[in-house]
Amino acid sequence: MRLEYFQLIDRIVELKLSDQIIRTQARVPLASTIFEGHFPGFPLMPGVLLIEAMAQTSGWLLIAITRFTRMPFFAAVREAKLRSFVKPGQELDLSAKLLHEGSGFAITKAEIRCDGKLACNAEITFRLVEFPNPEFRTNMEKMATILEFPVGALANG
Amino acid sequence: MADLGFTMSSTFDTVANIISETCDIPRDTVKPESHAINDLGIDSLDFLDIAFAIDKAFGIKMPLEQWTQEVNEGKATPEQYFQLDNLCTRIDELVAARGA
Repeated sequence: MRLEYFQLIDRIVELKLSDQIIRTQARVPLASTIFEGHFPGFPLMPGVLLIEAMAQTSGWLLIAITRFTRMPFFAAVREAKLRSFVKPGQELDLSAKLLHEGSGFAITKAEIRCDGKLACNAEITFRLVEFPNPEFRTNMEKMATILEFPVGALANG
Repeated sequence: MADLGFTMSSTFDTVANIISETCDIPRDTVKPESHAINDLGIDSLDFLDIAFAIDKAFGIKMPLEQWTQEVNEGKATPEQYFQLDNLCTRIDELVAARGA
């Protein structure tokens, strides 16, 4: 997790297109300027960033489902529940499942678990649009490599 | 639900109920001649919720990207897809095509 680059997940650990699910992992950094304000003397991972982490996990699932032909843009979140504090240094297991793929949009259900315990979950809506330009897509492909995106899963889906 | 065989009126009732509930619009203001955007003021994000509910209710996938492209290219008018009686006709066609 590189908060300063808004990279909220570290790696993709499973992508199963037949079941339309993805699992990712992330480790909350021990130190960040964010924790100086949120909160002094009691550092907590902000809920909005946990929602963003679920959105990024969902986004990679949608990129996989659309085979890098569409970029998912976060459009709405509902039923977001922040069930427990997430603190610096904690390991997060994230997952997302496709709920509906419409024309130009998709909805996922996503969750984060810490030590097996459900920490938060939400239902997230995305607009699916063509990549705004080739450089954008190239950058996403580079990020996919960094996140160990399992390219082989696309062939098996 | 879709297998019950929708007629135009029941399609409209289903769509109107979805719009009313999703966008908090009084049901009696949603009429067949209503234009979803111009008359009912539904924005594109709310329309995604409506599309999700319609897709689910009828077991279809409304081709919104194609419709939007046709409107943007001047090949179709917004009324052809977003006036509710026309929208319901499109839905009936999609349901029929799925069952064919």
